[in-house]
Amino acid sequence: MTSPADTPNAVRQDKYYLALPLGQRAPLRVIVDKRNLLANLLLLGLLILLAGVSLNIGSAASLSLPATLRALLGDGSPLDTFVIQELRLPRVIAGIVTGGAFALAGCLMQTVARNRLATPGIVGLDNGATAFAVASVVGTGISLAPPAMALTGAAVAAALTFGLTGRIGVRGYRFLVAGIGVGAVFGALTQLMLTRVSIDAANAAYPWTVGSLNARPDHAVLSLSLALPPALLAGIWLTRSLTVLRLSDAVAISLGIAAGRCRMAALSVAVILTGLAVAVAGPVGMVALIGPEFARQLSAKNTVPVVGATLAGAVVMVAADLLGRMLLAPIEIPVGIVTALIGSPLLLWILLNPNARTAP
Amino acid sequence: MRVLTHCLSFGKPRSLIGLWLGLSGLLAAIALLSLLYGAGDVGPARAWQALQNLGDAASYDSEAHFVIAELRAPRLWIGLVVGAALGIAGALLQAVTRNPLAEPGLLGVSAGAAFAVTLAILWGADTATLRVSVAQLGALGGCLCVLAAARLQGIGSDPIRLILAGAILSGLLHSLSSLILLYDQHTADEIRFWVVGSLAGRQLDDLVPLFPTLGVAALLTILLARPLAALALGEHVAIGLGHHPRVVRLLVIVVVALLVGGATAAAGPIAFVGLVVPFAARALAGPDIRRTLWLCLPLGPIVVVSADIVSRLVVPPSELPLGVLTALIGAPVLIGVVRGRRLPTL
Repeated sequence: MTSPADTPNAVRQDKYYLALPLGQRAPLRVIVDKRNLLANLLLLGLLILLAGVSLNIGSAASLSLPATLRALLGDGSPLDTFVIQELRLPRVIAGIVTGGAFALAGCLMQTVARNRLATPGIVGLDNGATAFAVASVVGTGISLAPPAMALTGAAVAAALTFGLTGRIGVRGYRFLVAGIGVGAVFGALTQLMLTRVSIDAANAAYPWTVGSLNARPDHAVLSLSLALPPALLAGIWLTRSLTVLRLSDAVAISLGIAAGRCRMAALSVAVILTGLAVAVAGPVGMVALIGPEFARQLSAKNTVPVVGATLAGAVVMVAADLLGRMLLAPIEIPVGIVTALIGSPLLLWILLNPNARTAP
Repeated sequence: MRVLTHCLSFGKPRSLIGLWLGLSGLLAAIALLSLLYGAGDVGPARAWQALQNLGDAASYDSEAHFVIAELRAPRLWIGLVVGAALGIAGALLQAVTRNPLAEPGLLGVSAGAAFAVTLAILWGADTATLRVSVAQLGALGGCLCVLAAARLQGIGSDPIRLILAGAILSGLLHSLSSLILLYDQHTADEIRFWVVGSLAGRQLDDLVPLFPTLGVAALLTILLARPLAALALGEHVAIGLGHHPRVVRLLVIVVVALLVGGATAAAGPIAFVGLVVPFAARALAGPDIRRTLWLCLPLGPIVVVSADIVSRLVVPPSELPLGVLTALIGAPVLIGVVRGRRLPTL
């Protein structure tokens, strides 16, 4: 055990890091960045607050706080219990898991591509997943469930975009334009399928094309909820390698990190999360941009805020859904449109601001 | 007069006339096919009979005649005009931004036009004439937004980032339009079939209000061809040759806005035509903007009209929106261009 006096160049632990001992003799220690911890706690608090507000407010009736709590625990009036437990709670849960999944995928992909604009939505994953999910709903003879199809679609789109433009992680914008092209093809295919089928089937598939928390099929929410925790763990596990990969391939390899494998793993996690999230809420791709950006502002410099991005994405999604329900009530603005309206100016700002163009 | 012949010349005289005539012949054949084939009951043989017996009262086939004259011919005419306008607009925009990927649909020009029309209908306008001028104003706004952003931050020289800025602007305008459609049912009903980009169900009357502005645009294009060819050699060369680059650029943007706004008003936002057509024209004719423009004139209608024919035949008896087909053709071209080892420059 060395003291700070022995290694003058070491960062002072007590100021920036918490070293949590694991085990009795502390052979292992988990080093936690204090600022990131603070940021994550803040985001968690914000998420709980917003989820509470979202449960409270709605077009049917705005319940008082005690009434909401009682209904949540199951001993309120039958109507309140129904509204809270059957209508609002599933919606809030779906918002939390999809927002977290999109934002985590966005954070991983941005880091891997070393480009803050490289979110799954721009690279065409959202549209690919949507096209495949719609294909399964409108009945083109494929009997796979929408989540599985959406997963396949996301994987196909990722393979096309990155396969067509060469290596992953090369700085530059080319693969983004290729992604726009791939996205346009899949968007057109979605339109094609929607025009071919009867109006009922088209209506059944419609929620997947705008991005909304209205439909949220139960099995899709379930499969995403099951996939999100392991994906988050994988993300945390990859954080150290990704932080080093941000520097350069040479540095990363000399420090003993398998650069290619690490990228592949991060990208696979991103593809899985995007596919499953699209199966729940449709293409709400902008969350994948706003969430990590938000988390990066709060977190310590030069870290990959994996947990922070997940929490921030959930916050953004729940907030956007709340806004969409409240702004033009009784009309409900789909969450996809709300996030696009917030996200597009942010995207433009990143693109045009020379200081913001740096890699994440 | 000499100036005019210069302006209208093919660049290298006579070298392209054969090609141009061949393409025009192809266009005529495709136009005939567009009259013969359709999604409905009137098949090609019957349509051919009806076309031959046009003046013959004895064997008058009223149904076939109606289908051809009232349904297919207006689509053909609008397809011709829209194709030529979009193709030339794409070539001009690419020349002025010196960016082979600058496509009106990708840069947010069509989205600006569509958004302006949506806004106008929301505020109670519904006449066809107003729609054209509003669409053109919106196209101008979208065009200026992207180019100003590009100029401001000096990313105009980077083709890829200009496209990204345009794509983002398009997305923003698109979601604003969707918001309006959601908010106002009347607007939604008025516009639902227009926003997807299609030639179906258009009347010949929709075309008439386009002609004044398209005429102005055509005239300006003829006058601008030479200065643009000079600008392709570089700003200094163009100034040395007596042109005014700023004026030329501004005028080109106005022409693009007139063309794209007009085409969008007639057929809705149709993407990727402005990319594919100049790309093919350059491949056939080389980099000279005058030759490119001449070839865009038949090539644009060829692409739009044949895409329209396919859109009628793929899923009979229903139809495919034209925008879907052009995206399926155009996106691979976009990817192909981006994939190239070295980005082509203009």
